[in-house]
Amino acid sequence: MTYILGIETSCDETAAAVVIDGKTTASNVIASQIDLHAKYGGVFPELASRAHIEAIGAVVDQALEDAGVTLDQIDAIAVTRGPGLVGSLLIGINYAKGLALAARKPLLGINHLEGHVYSLWLTQPFREVNFPVLVLIVSGGHTELLLMRGHGQYERLGATLDDAAGEAFDKVGRMLNLPFPGGPNIERAAQMGNPGAFPFPRTKRDQSFDFSFSGLKTAVMREVTVPASSEARKKSAPEKGLILRSDISINDVAASFQEALVDTLVEKTARAAKHYGAHEVFMAGGVSANQRLRAQMRKETDLPVRYPPLNLCTDNAAMIASAGHFRYLSGLRDDLDMEVLPMWALSNNTYNVRNRP
Amino acid sequence: MAILKEDELDIISHSPEQTHRLGTRLGALLYAGDVICLSGDMGAGKTVFSAGIGIGWGAFYPLTSPTFNLVHEHRREKDKLRLYHLDCYRLQGAQDIDSIGYDDVISGRGVVVIEWPERVIGSLPSERLWIQLRILDANRRNLIFSAVGQRYKDLIRHLRGVSFGV
Repeated sequence: MTYILGIETSCDETAAAVVIDGKTTASNVIASQIDLHAKYGGVFPELASRAHIEAIGAVVDQALEDAGVTLDQIDAIAVTRGPGLVGSLLIGINYAKGLALAARKPLLGINHLEGHVYSLWLTQPFREVNFPVLVLIVSGGHTELLLMRGHGQYERLGATLDDAAGEAFDKVGRMLNLPFPGGPNIERAAQMGNPGAFPFPRTKRDQSFDFSFSGLKTAVMREVTVPASSEARKKSAPEKGLILRSDISINDVAASFQEALVDTLVEKTARAAKHYGAHEVFMAGGVSANQRLRAQMRKETDLPVRYPPLNLCTDNAAMIASAGHFRYLSGLRDDLDMEVLPMWALSNNTYNVRNRP
Repeated sequence: MAILKEDELDIISHSPEQTHRLGTRLGALLYAGDVICLSGDMGAGKTVFSAGIGIGWGAFYPLTSPTFNLVHEHRREKDKLRLYHLDCYRLQGAQDIDSIGYDDVISGRGVVVIEWPERVIGSLPSERLWIQLRILDANRRNLIFSAVGQRYKDLIRHLRGVSFGV
């Protein structure tokens, strides 16, 4: 049996986990900073770095303890190398290097997006994957469409040209004065709203597999806000200059916005799956927790659709350990002098070229 | 007397595509050390304009919204130069700026494109190109380019030349 310790600090979760043979989660510890960042309406980098420093030692110790293993019994240490916030990534990678050096364990620098893909290997009961698989990664920072032909083999088919899907949720949530993060709060409001109330544009309806959500965001903004009076501007939100219309149903706006965004994601994913002859559709990342997205994806494609359990949709270290396991099997190792890669697209040459942006 | 101000350029874009193309024209003129500030409300077209800059400059990856990660570091094939794309919406004060590696960013090694520059105004270099984007209606945007410093006056002159041939 192979034990991998995973460490993830790319954004606002300090996480560590132990995964056995890439599929069994022996422990999965997450110290979330969500309350810390909620009042700013987004992740605050300096706060995030400090919180990671404070939490990481205890989180890793807890992960080992929960799994009932010591560091000596671990086969390799997998850590998120990018993409993400530089300051946050550095805390995790430096801690992992320290452990690897002290315990003389192999070190594996993992692409955060590949981690999300491997959250699908942690669903129980596990069914063998029938490659090639069409993967949609949707989160606050990413919206990527990939064709996965085997372990570590990714063809990047498309991505967002502007805002990520989760970012669109956050920005529309902010317009509607809903709490951060936008995703779950819009989903909740949408359950009580009419998705047909506003005909928001289904953006980027073309033949490419790229996405664009900034036009949708702007359409929502034009529908629901009015320019603030100069008095209100001074008082509350001088940077926004816009206030929410009082005569509008927030639930209807949330439902109509969510519907437009989900339609776009599902249409492109289903079409790409067909075009490339994929055998299954995988969804991962924070937005894959959205129930409407899950239901529509199942409806619009004939292929089996997989998504992670809710606790593995958002950032966690179990997925990093699982991705690390398959890296470990492939024989690839990283040096103790590896650097963080804040911009790092997941593609076929992700691990072939050293220190490539 | 000249009709056009030497250190200012006032343009109305009629579509996101036009805003994007205008960015492309500017991007092709940029050198390491240039600081481009994009100021405007949500939906004004800052990221669309930035994406155009990325095309014109020759970035390896498309410039997308930096909101989530706050800073994106881009490279290009031909000379390995860098372009930093920042979203300062959530930054307040010197500590936050430190945490995104701002000193490195602004040190002149690359082009710097900053969205929400008013949030870090005290830390911006005194010489810069400031672009104010304003929403006129669903598709039309007003872009006002103002230069501080000789380099940026030259840049506006070049941009006027490649965009309008005047």
